[in-house]
Amino acid sequence: MKTILTVDDSPSIRQMLAYVLTSNGYKVIEAEDGEQGLELAKANQADLVLTDQNMPKMDGIALIKALRGLPNYRKVPIMMLTTESSQALKQQGRDAGATGWMVKPFDPEKLLEMLKRAFAQTAA
Amino acid sequence: MKDANAPSYSSLLALHELATRLSSQVDSAHHEIGETREILKDAIDRLMPAFTASRSQDSPQHAINPSRREAFSALQFQDISDQLLAHAQARLSLLLQEVNLLVGALQPGNDHENIAGRLTQLVEQANDNLADLDISLLKPVGKAHLGTGDVELF
Repeated sequence: MKTILTVDDSPSIRQMLAYVLTSNGYKVIEAEDGEQGLELAKANQADLVLTDQNMPKMDGIALIKALRGLPNYRKVPIMMLTTESSQALKQQGRDAGATGWMVKPFDPEKLLEMLKRAFAQTAA
Repeated sequence: MKDANAPSYSSLLALHELATRLSSQVDSAHHEIGETREILKDAIDRLMPAFTASRSQDSPQHAINPSRREAFSALQFQDISDQLLAHAQARLSLLLQEVNLLVGALQPGNDHENIAGRLTQLVEQANDNLADLDISLLKPVGKAHLGTGDVELF
């Protein structure tokens, strides 16, 4: 069973993600900000990270940079799930090491499809 | 020698009264937005457990039941709305802070001889604070409809 770390300060978004992911056979670890996400990522090896951008304490870009600095997260897919659709932020995410990008509100089916593609990309 | 362009005591009193009333209005608007955020959050917090409790409606053909899929997308607008409301609250907080500084500067009984200098200082400080606020607030996505967002793998 693959483990997905979800990082979002919105409890309702975390609940929705947990519902969609656990319903589809993934194990979910939840963090409410970037700092907690980083701690949980160190304590648990996630197979994929799904992070929001705008969060207190540590934002999504900072989290991605921190994760990419950890040897065991260099190749783990990290997807950004954000309310912002600006090209500049997308580029920042890409430069920080994000694998993909999804603008909220997310469609559950599209999210699951994106995860499959991300896992396939990593395995190739 | 008295400055002929200096505001009269009565005009400063009128300005103080206006600033006090503006402060009260901004404070009320700030609280009302806060209450709106709480109501929306409470509604979603109550809805989510009931919504996610039953998985039996999700058929093997669809990872998520189609009607539930639509609702999932719509429910996320609380999160987006909350960010917009938080931004509005941050702007109102700054406005309240600046108006209250103005109220303080115009307080009856203060030495009004140097009022022009103090007001100039307040304006400079307010301009700096407004610029800082614009930098600190990231622009949330503008949604004109309930469509779902783009997906992209790099």
